[in-house]
Formats: sequence, C-alpha cells, structure tokens
Amino acid sequence: MITIPYLTALTTYFSYGLLFAFGQFRDFFRKIFDWWRANNLQGYAPICLGLEDFYIRRLYLRIQDCFGRPIASAPDAWFDVVERYSNDNNKTLKRTTNISRCFNLGSYNYLGFAASDEYCTPRVIKSLKRFSPSTCSARVDGGTTTLHTELEERVANFVRKPSAIVFGMGYATNAAILPVLIGKGGLIISDSLNHNSIVNGARGSGATIRVFQYNTPLHLEKVLREQIAEGQPRTHRPWKKIIVIVEGIYSMEGELCKLPEIVAICKKYKAYIYLDEAHSIGAVGKSGRGVCELLGVDTADVDVMMGTFTKSFGSCGGYIAGSKELIQYLKYSCPAHLYATSMSPPAAQQIISAIKVILGEDGTSRGAEKLAQIRENSNFFRSELQKMGFEVLGDNDSPIMPIMLYNPAKIPAFSRECLVQKVAVVMVAFPACPLLLARTRICISASHTKEDLVKALEVISQVGDLVGVKYFPAEPEKQEQLKEMIKMD
Amino acid sequence: MYVRAVPTTDLNRNTEWFTYPGVWTTYILIVFFSWILVLSVFNCSPGIAWTVVNLTHFLVTYHFFHWKKGTPFSDDQGIYNRLTWWEQVDNGKQLTRNRKFLTVVPVVLYLIASHTTDYQHPMLFFNTVAVFVLVVAKFPHMHKVRIFGINADQ
Repeated sequence: MITIPYLTALTTYFSYGLLFAFGQFRDFFRKIFDWWRANNLQGYAPICLGLEDFYIRRLYLRIQDCFGRPIASAPDAWFDVVERYSNDNNKTLKRTTNISRCFNLGSYNYLGFAASDEYCTPRVIKSLKRFSPSTCSARVDGGTTTLHTELEERVANFVRKPSAIVFGMGYATNAAILPVLIGKGGLIISDSLNHNSIVNGARGSGATIRVFQYNTPLHLEKVLREQIAEGQPRTHRPWKKIIVIVEGIYSMEGELCKLPEIVAICKKYKAYIYLDEAHSIGAVGKSGRGVCELLGVDTADVDVMMGTFTKSFGSCGGYIAGSKELIQYLKYSCPAHLYATSMSPPAAQQIISAIKVILGEDGTSRGAEKLAQIRENSNFFRSELQKMGFEVLGDNDSPIMPIMLYNPAKIPAFSRECLVQKVAVVMVAFPACPLLLARTRICISASHTKEDLVKALEVISQVGDLVGVKYFPAEPEKQEQLKEMIKMD
Repeated sequence: MYVRAVPTTDLNRNTEWFTYPGVWTTYILIVFFSWILVLSVFNCSPGIAWTVVNLTHFLVTYHFFHWKKGTPFSDDQGIYNRLTWWEQVDNGKQLTRNRKFLTVVPVVLYLIASHTTDYQHPMLFFNTVAVFVLVVAKFPHMHKVRIFGINADQ
C-alpha cells in the first residue's frame, strides 16, 4: 500500500499542473508561428493530431536523457554507459565516444547470467558455430531445431507442467497467445496493474475486459459474481469462457501476487487462471521454480503458466506451459508459432544451460548459491533502504524494489545525480505507472557483491538527502542507540 | 500527515489521477491562490478579482473538460478520441463523488463572485452565463451530446 505524505501529494499535483500549463502555452504559440509558415504537407493528412503526442513533446522530451541510455558492454553488475550531450535542451541527444563505468541497478539480471558465465558461454558459442545465429524460418517450416524441442521439454520439467511451447519474444508471447485462447463472447478479468503486453493481447482478442483492484482477491470475487450474474453485454447470455490474468511479481510494485486465494476463488467459480511469471520464474522459490513454489500452490491448479527468459536466464523469448492438449492446440493455431521466426539457437542453448545450472545438473551447487545470494542481497538492500527512511515497495524476498519519488522534478534530479556518482538506476514515470506515483526501480542481482551494495547504498542515501525523497523518518543506527543508552546510564 | 493511495481500477491514464487523495484540496487551493494573484497584480476590488477568477475558471475548465477530446498520449490507441475529459472521468459513470464535486465548484465560485460584487451588472451577467454553461455541460443527460453538431467528429 503506497502511503503519500499529504503535502507531497499537493505539490505533485501542482507541479504537473504547472508543467501542463506551460506545455499548453508553448503549443498555443507554436500553432500561431506555424500558421504563418507554410506547411509542407501538400494535402496529406497529418500523422499526429497534435494532442496525442502532447505528453511526449512537452513532458517526456525535457527529461529524455534519463531514459534510453545506450550501454557499451554486457549488463553485468558493472557496465559501461555511453555519455550523451544535447545542444537544443534535450530535444535531440548526441552520443559521444566517452563511456563511464557504472554500477548496474537497472538490468533484470536476477541470477547473474547476463554476463559471460563459465558453464553457459562455452556451450552457447559451440551452438552458435553449429546452428548459426538464426534459423531463418518459422517453427512450422524449418525452424525447429533439436535445441528447441529439448528446450520445450526442459521448460515443462522446470515449471512442473506436462508440456510447454517457446516463442522468440516475451512481449509477443502475451500479445499473440491471448487472442488465440479467447475471443468475442469471452470474459477476461485482469489485474489493474498488469503489464502492457497483457493489456494489448486482451484488447486484440476481442473479448470483454473487466479489471479488478490490484492484488485484492475479495474484489476479484465481487467482479466475478457480478459478471457471471449479468452475462454478456447486451444479450445477457452466459459467457463462453472466463480467464483471470494475474502476474507472479508485479514489475512496478515488486509485490507478490496473492496466488492461493485467487486460485481458490477461480476454482469456486470455474474460471481459468493465466499466470504471467515474467519476473518470478528463476528468481523466487527454493529451487527457483517461481511463485507457485514459493507460495505452495500446486501447478496443476494454474491452467496456463506464462513466463519469459529475459529476466533470470539471461536470454530472450517467452514460454507457455500447460496441459498437453492446450500446448498441442497452440501449436496448430498460434500465429507466433506458425508465422514468426523461431528463437535464435544460441539463445535457446543459453536457456538450457542456465536451467541446468539452476537445478544443479551441471555438477556444481552454483545454482543454489545464486538463489541464496539474490535472496540475501534483496533482503539486505531493502531493509537498509527502509532504515534510511525511503519509501520502498515490494515484499520480502522480491528482487525488485521501487523507491517512490512522486514529484516530477525529482525524477531527472535523482537519475542525473546518481549517474554522476556512477550508479545507474532506472526511472519509471507516466505512463508506465500512475501519474503521481513516479518511482525509481532497483533490480538486485545475484552478481552484486556486498561491498558494491554498501557503496551503492551510500550513494543513494546521499542523493536521497539532496533530492528530498526520504519521506519516512529514518531509524537511528542500533549502535548509536546503544551508545545513547550507555550515556544515559 | 500521510494518506494511503489505493490503486484504482480505472485503466484510462488520462483520468485515473483524479481518483487519488489530495486533488480536491489542490483544486481549491489553486483557485484561492489565483484570486490572491489577481488581487496583487491588478490592485482591484475583491469582487472584481473574484469575477476575473470565475471567468478564467470558466474558460479554462470549459476548454479542457468539455472541448478537448482524446488523451495526451498515444498508448491507448485512440479509444477515447471521441470523448471529452468530462465524458472519460470515472469511466463514464454519472453522479459519482468526483463529478458532484466538480459541479459544485462553479456554483460556489458564482455565489462568491456575485456576493462580493453586490450583484451589480455587467459582472452579474457574465458570471451567470459562466455558471449556466458549466453546470449544463455537466448534466448526466448531456453525456456524449453534441448540440448542433458543435465539436462533433468528422
């Protein structure tokens, strides 16, 4: 639950109002200037109506240098960030050849597979030489290699489902599967903070979409009861099918889904569950098997399990795991399988090797060490940040920790100041998160060492003081408390 | 001191900021501080200042709530392109708390402006026109209505 200081809420509204007003003034004068100058459209309609890109032109471009920073090395714990400069107040950014080595707190590198790994990389290079970088074909034509079939078996085994299907792109997995699973006359009930890929896939399916309050099983039950009683929009016939879509770990809040309650409710009302484990697969759970293992939910109760390989496995692509009949049906009908180029073979090999390391099948205990390391790092970092007085979201054990900023001016201030001190963080502003709840999102990795984390904490604390984001009172150090107690004695 | 920000079920990013705590207070404070600004800049009587505030409030809110259609970003693929902000708020549900508050504010401003100018013309006439247009535009029966095709789509 996000707790805002009341004064901060007022100042945030006022700041956005001011930015909006300035943007409108500038647009007004720009319209007057452009009226005098002839436009070179020659009768064609303008691509943009002028109101649609207002946010981009007047708010986003001002702080454009905080987003989309190019990097010049693998996204390991330390990486090279390319320096950019602008001559026209951030409207265009030009790259220089200078790089600065920064501490990486932004990449989804949960288990440290993003950089060269002693087990995975030699095998990936071998598969690159054998299979070449692309299969140059769709899965149905000539793009299914032995690696793909082995990968699908291993993923099904890892996630504990009868069978699985893999795709080349994680976003496309959601966007292409949902229209196949459900169509007009069906009902999709999705969590209000679901990822854009789910929202787009749901809109593309043509089904009716209803939203339930974020992570609130009681509200889900209320919405389910209401919708089942009412039926389809105008005819009031019963729905053809109902799918409830939730995520394992929500990427902007870092909180775990209340899966046991939601599964119980869906079983009661006979609705299907679609679980998107993009951020939780490989990162949580005793053996890395995701949120079902962590919360003790039987995987046979979740009908469709989806996940991506970009976060914990250091590769690209997504998968869907489910019953044999479901996967067989998807192989016949999903356009991402029939028409899209299949996953790159070295990427598939990287995932196979990463799964082997996580499960300990490579003969070492590195997988278990990585899982323990990320849990320890996340809990240490989160508790230290909370002690300093920051407002940090997310549950314990979750490697994602958003720090709330709220005011729009603090977004570029925090980002630029951290970059100067060689810590690279990712900012999340509108429209990825609600207008007022701007935040910076920190992703902890198993490859971060304790010394690096302590140094990063110092930098963040300093920048937090400068920018003024320590909204909660800081807890004094235990040693100081002891000293004070001794002095009073 | 602290308030809880309960996440809403409103998917429209253009209007969901209106459901968080502190909006009403900010709105009232902006109106009040603009009155003080007008008083200090123009050095006029309080009644004239309230009339100026009322009329600029009319122009600004009519333009942004009832004239401009669509959203200032393109993420939603244009599904709200035919709706003004007032028609998008609260997902089109009528007579919610937010809508009632926004209907009351022009009326209160009208009462203050007409009281402090002692109900004299021509200020009374302009204030009355302002409150009439604003309140009629916010009626539930005016949802998606375009009189004489003004501001309708091509």
